[in-house]
Amino acid sequence: MTDVIGRIFSIEEFTVFDGPGIRTSVFFKGCPLRCSWCHSPEGQCYEKQVLKSPNGCISCGACTSLAKEKTGREELIGECVEVCPRKLIRVAGEDVTADKVYHRVIKNKDFFSCGGGVTFSGGEPLMQADFLIACLEKFGGEVSRCVQTSGYCDNEKFRQVVEKTDLFLYDIKIVNSKKMKRYTGGESHIVLENLEALVGMKKDFIVRIPLIPGVTDTEENIDDIISLLKKYDIKYAEAMPYNRMAGAKYSLAGRKFMPEYDHFAPVNIPSKKFAQNNIELKIL
Amino acid sequence: MTERVKKQYDELKKREYRNARNKERILVDDVRFDGMSRSDKETELFCKIIRSEDIVLREGDRIGFHRHRQKGGQWFPSGNIVPNYERYLREGFGGVYESLKRNMHKGDEAFAKNAMRCIEEVFAYCERLKEKAGKELRAALEVVPYHAPRTYHQALVMMKCIIYTLRLVEIPHVTLGRFDHYMRPFYESDRARGVSREELLELTEEFFISLNYDTDAYVGVQQGDNGQSMVLGGYDAEGNDCFSELSEVVMDASMELCLIDPKINLRVSKKTPLERFRYATEMTKLGLGFPQYCNDDIIVPGLIRLGYDVEDAYNYAAAACWENIIPGRSFDIPNFGNVVFPKCVNKAIEKSNGDEGFAGLLGLVISCLEENVDAAIGWANSKIETIVPHPYFSLFIDDCIDLVCDYSEGKMKYFNIGFHGVGISTAADSLAAIKKTVYEDKICTLSDVKKALDANFEGYEDLRKKLASCPKMGNNDDYVDGFLSFLLDNAEKSLCDKKNIRGGFFRLGTGSAQGYILKAKECGASADGRFSGEPFACSFSPAIGARIAGPLSVIKSFTKFDLKRVVNGGPLTMEIHENTFRNEDGMMKVAMLVKSYIEMGGHQLQLNSVNRERLIEAQKNPEEHRNLIVRVWGWSGYFTELDVEYQNHIISRTVFD
Repeated sequence: MTDVIGRIFSIEEFTVFDGPGIRTSVFFKGCPLRCSWCHSPEGQCYEKQVLKSPNGCISCGACTSLAKEKTGREELIGECVEVCPRKLIRVAGEDVTADKVYHRVIKNKDFFSCGGGVTFSGGEPLMQADFLIACLEKFGGEVSRCVQTSGYCDNEKFRQVVEKTDLFLYDIKIVNSKKMKRYTGGESHIVLENLEALVGMKKDFIVRIPLIPGVTDTEENIDDIISLLKKYDIKYAEAMPYNRMAGAKYSLAGRKFMPEYDHFAPVNIPSKKFAQNNIELKIL
Repeated sequence: MTERVKKQYDELKKREYRNARNKERILVDDVRFDGMSRSDKETELFCKIIRSEDIVLREGDRIGFHRHRQKGGQWFPSGNIVPNYERYLREGFGGVYESLKRNMHKGDEAFAKNAMRCIEEVFAYCERLKEKAGKELRAALEVVPYHAPRTYHQALVMMKCIIYTLRLVEIPHVTLGRFDHYMRPFYESDRARGVSREELLELTEEFFISLNYDTDAYVGVQQGDNGQSMVLGGYDAEGNDCFSELSEVVMDASMELCLIDPKINLRVSKKTPLERFRYATEMTKLGLGFPQYCNDDIIVPGLIRLGYDVEDAYNYAAAACWENIIPGRSFDIPNFGNVVFPKCVNKAIEKSNGDEGFAGLLGLVISCLEENVDAAIGWANSKIETIVPHPYFSLFIDDCIDLVCDYSEGKMKYFNIGFHGVGISTAADSLAAIKKTVYEDKICTLSDVKKALDANFEGYEDLRKKLASCPKMGNNDDYVDGFLSFLLDNAEKSLCDKKNIRGGFFRLGTGSAQGYILKAKECGASADGRFSGEPFACSFSPAIGARIAGPLSVIKSFTKFDLKRVVNGGPLTMEIHENTFRNEDGMMKVAMLVKSYIEMGGHQLQLNSVNRERLIEAQKNPEEHRNLIVRVWGWSGYFTELDVEYQNHIISRTVFD
């Protein structure tokens, strides 16, 4: 399996909100969903992208003039990385083997002793399920393996992944199927079926709820989520309040951030409701 | 904070009282008397200055000893000691005075007379202060500084008296040492007789505020670089944990006030519980650049290895920044020279004829390091000769009192010289880049590199990019990290058996002090792709602009070398985005990261919570950010009071988020 090639967009060390202990996260490129609040646009499309950070750009024009010279257009190309004097340009998307991922993470194994380890995130790691499985196998028995996912994939594949994972960070965004479709482009039943599988397989998991104003933090959706948690007797969940920096990386990816909700509205933190239902809710 | 503290805090923050300072300056050469020795002159100057000081007191002031004069004498070339506070807290100035009087005939009588004269002037000042002081301060002055203090309050007044009088004659970097160690008996006896923790916290806060009133009048490379560092915690030779309730009170005071002084250093070890790191992370979160961590597991054996007695090594404290020195017993000068690693590498490239292969080049690097070390030793020795006597300053080193001699005679227990190690990551990166491009990939010759460096890469942009893309420190890559070990190993070997002209030894550190800017300015382009004059990394950190895998790799890269051999000090410095500190998970993990660094054998760590956008904003609109505090090198200061090159350096450091 180790010769499977996968595509990632970064490996980050010390990702403090991606599971217990000190962790290194591997971000898979590509996601089947298109959540309008997504804060990592470079994780959405599978194709490689040239990204330029606008912060610190001195507008020297080195990148665009090179692009123009090579392609006749100003759209950045891979070679632009080399010419930026401020090192603001990078290519998101690297094809790697599980072996390579393993070596880049495991060299810092000493830090993972207190429950830490590796987290596979994205994008959506399940979109490259075979590669994910190859990675999970590689790390098996050595460090804790965590998968951060929207649960959006074929049930059969999902079960194979569950077998090899130590902990899931499992997103429940929207339960109502119509609204799920509208805000994420996905089918809610896929997520729910996989959650059921996860519960049935008795693997450790933590439900995570992104709180998006007027989208996922509504009374209706919170009630739906609470019923769901009660159905499976889940006593603990984590909420991630909407990050107003969500749009920060869109210009980097040359896209416009167009949320379908009121970006400035206050987030409803449903701590009280969860408490009333005897579910501990940790705010991240 | 209490009403009382709040009032003093507000007055401090307005800074208006500073306008009323006496701007007149008296220099040592203004004190002219025929036939006077330098010691006499310094005494005369001290007396003249302290006598001319107006008494400055603030409403409800319980600490006293505030500066009226903007400038004292002139920058006195010595300093950077941890005074023997313990002795004064034990014997009072009266005890020291009597001891000099008693033992005068056994030593340098002229010195003793001058020193006693200085003490008399301190008493005279205190009499004047007492007349104007409010009830509480007046009561304390009935006891101190003549007698040993009996209460925590009196002990604080004694401390301030020492700090004020030393700084009045521009003795720079008078540090605070192990405050929770020498103040602990007073704190605990107050507690035992029923004084509450809150009352003592309030007093501590008033003392801290008083340390900040006059920072504008203190000398330093930049404002804030004044040496008011304090060391907390640590383990004694029996392995007892010295972190006490008082240590916590100090940290609470520091966190409530958020002032640049005192700068907090925390001594920790493998045994330090995670909860303490978690607590200290609260402090890091505030963005003040405290605490700086010092690892007893590395520093204590390192000091013993150098030749310090076991009991002294366990009692180490930080000098102004991070330099590990022995309180009250030493006149170690931990910043009396530099090993500028990138310069040594450049010299080796210059000397090379291109035929000796990489091993030959490394041989040349070793000889250039030796040359640098020899030159630094020569310079330090010649500077030792120029050290001027100072009777008052001498009183804060125990042996000078007991042997009745001026500190400049160098008879104290420890008189060792420390060298900073500047630009280490740039040098290691440069060697890795040469190894790869010249000797492995063979895409250029050493003479190409030499030409490119001479031309500051003008016309060699392609080569520069190739050099810049070679492995860099901070990625846990043995290929380049090995060169850091190579450089430190050889530099340390070349100075470890040398003695200075007073018989002391030399010690190597990994700190840069201001050298990351000033020495870098004098250093031509380097083979890692750095242009001529561009700054190095601050102290022990990856080069500015190098691509870094993350904080875990940085820590691994910088803990491969046996850091016991470089305990002159110099912290690994890392900046973490303030978002990481936003909740318990993030806080706990930062604490775990620090603990890991200590367990892996790191010697010192400087962790900063940073928001780069705010720094950029503060640079544009300084008047709106006058209270924004940042860590510069071994000290914290107000961002807007720094020169722009120091501001820019902070902005350009890698921030992990």
